[in-house]
Amino acid sequence: MKPSSLTGRQRVNRMLARRDHDRVPRCDTFWADTIARWQREGLQWDQNDVLRLLECDFQGLCWSWPAPFPLQRDVLASDAETETVRDGWGGVARYWKGRSGTPEHISFDCDSREKWERIYKPAMLAAPIQVDTRMALLRYREGRKLGRWTHLSGVEGFEALRRLIGDEAFLMAMIDDPDWVRDIVKVHTDIVLRTYEAILAEGVAPDGLWIYGDLAYNHATICSPAMYRALVWPEHKRMADWAHARGMRVIYHTDGRVGAVLDLFIEAGFDCLQPIEAKAGMDIRVLAPAYGSRLAMFGNIDVMKMATNDLGLIEEEIRSKFAAGMATRGYAYHSDHSVPPQVSWETYRAIIGLIDRHGAY
Amino acid sequence: MPLLSDLTAAVAAGKRTDTVRLTQELLAAGTSPQDVVEKGLVPGMAIVGDRFKRNEIFVPEMLVAARAMKEALKLLEPLLAAAGIKPKYTAIIGTVQGDLHDIGKNLISMMWRGANFAVIDLGTNVTAEKYLAAAKEHKANIVGLSALLTTTMPSMKETVRILKSSGLDGLKVVIGGAPITQEFANDIGADGYAADAGSAVDLAKRLVGEAA
Ligand code: B12
Repeated sequence: MKPSSLTGRQRVNRMLARRDHDRVPRCDTFWADTIARWQREGLQWDQNDVLRLLECDFQGLCWSWPAPFPLQRDVLASDAETETVRDGWGGVARYWKGRSGTPEHISFDCDSREKWERIYKPAMLAAPIQVDTRMALLRYREGRKLGRWTHLSGVEGFEALRRLIGDEAFLMAMIDDPDWVRDIVKVHTDIVLRTYEAILAEGVAPDGLWIYGDLAYNHATICSPAMYRALVWPEHKRMADWAHARGMRVIYHTDGRVGAVLDLFIEAGFDCLQPIEAKAGMDIRVLAPAYGSRLAMFGNIDVMKMATNDLGLIEEEIRSKFAAGMATRGYAYHSDHSVPPQVSWETYRAIIGLIDRHGAY
Repeated sequence: MPLLSDLTAAVAAGKRTDTVRLTQELLAAGTSPQDVVEKGLVPGMAIVGDRFKRNEIFVPEMLVAARAMKEALKLLEPLLAAAGIKPKYTAIIGTVQGDLHDIGKNLISMMWRGANFAVIDLGTNVTAEKYLAAAKEHKANIVGLSALLTTTMPSMKETVRILKSSGLDGLKVVIGGAPITQEFANDIGADGYAADAGSAVDLAKRLVGEAA
């Protein structure tokens, strides 16, 4: 392992400014099942320790996804493995017992504009701040001590729509009642920014914002770029403006094929794109030369290749993509979404070695 | 009297009020329910599939078109049933065991419905046994399996194996979803793969022997 000359915070800031730095900054995400597999294969601790081994440069301070009824959790049914619950968003979802994992959404209650205006919007606006600002402060102090790049995290409006009114309903509402959709996205953004303000008021001075919203799938954006521009983008821009006014940079997370909206991302003020899903046809060997000076690239290392556990194939993936990203100085390592359980612990340890080897400037 | 082509245009544009009104008017003017479906609605959904394939329209536009068609079918189905007319082909669709992603699967279901297949949607997290039971019960021509997770692809493989070895005569098994490729379909012995909801209609028609 080479001694590093910069802290993670300096490294990421330099990467975002396209200034010289010592090595590619790093972060990653793992499925819960992957960590469980690795623990069976010799990993002694948990995912935070994997991130330490990776020498992760990032530190999240909070996760903001405001619910209209934050304390609501009515258990409607229960079996050995799952619990069916009316949750804080008003809908019914089935949660796993005793392990993390995305819940199955069974129904959504906020199914009309009338209900939104009468029940959900007032509830969202009246609900208390839903992140632990004190914990954010502690995580901030810890992150600064570790020299990491600290960031506020949470979802943006498109993802909020999905959880509140359900995919099909909100996508049809984008055509039937665009003002309703705009209003939900705006209220969500108001609350998220209010939440972040509350964290700043604790004396936290984060380096950036890392916001999440899956706008796309394998073939295209889920709605048209024009619809994204009209209904969601203004609030993306507002978030980015808010961050920039406070000296923070913005990382935007989306899955899928987003080539058609990269210019809009840049125009909104996003500084960096993550995780750049290879399976959806995104390839930084093409994108970095075209966009790398205006949009930093974070990720794109194909988990399908990792899942083969074929180190030759994985090395070529890392080597060629790092070379393309590093040529712009605006590149950070992340898998192209999250590391799945087909990847062995031995493979992942080897991947860290490959990142060391190919990620040094 | 409105033209069938007006109905085609209305459904393709996702205009549900117009679609329902034109359906009523065509029926009132003596057009047979079968023609309304086959010469009015089906071509409309074919346009939708085509434009979606080319990224000229996106998921919201496809959803509202399917909704318009569904509302017209509500008027038409009792008439078709009374006349003893059933769709010629039956398809089963579902997302495989362990997988909860359903948006893509729902689009396939809508588009197959729009191509005048009877569609039985088994939902998500569907076991091989459930697909098999449904295929038997409904005498299905096609079973469609959707998987969005690499971790559920093995479950897809197992389901294809069980369906293909069930001895159900002429049953075709087709697969799709974000991580799925033609190569994987070949490997696991599926009869077909399609990358999107428009192509899934061409595929299904080809496999049942209708020109796509
Ligand atoms: C929306 C989404 C979700 C939603 C699903 C909501 C819902 N009701 O479906 C939620 C948030 C619940 C979710 C959960 C999870 N997800 Co998810 N999700 C997505 C996302 C962003 C979009 C999927 C989508 O809706 N696409 C839109 C539709 C229209 O496209 P489609 O499904 O591909 O379908 C088209 C074609 O594939 C084809 N098709 C589909 N099915 C079929 C079937 C047949 C027979 C045929 C012929 C064709 C066909 O036609 C469709 C229309 O054109 C994808 C990203 C991506 N690149 O796809 C990740 C993605 C699928 N998810 C992923 C993951 C990891 C998960 C989770 C494990 C955890 C997580 N944190 O996200 C859980 C798993 C839950 C479970 N057990 O299933 C990964 C899977 C990676 C992998 N290695 O397997 C993806 C690829 C994200 C990524 N970049 O890595 N997810």
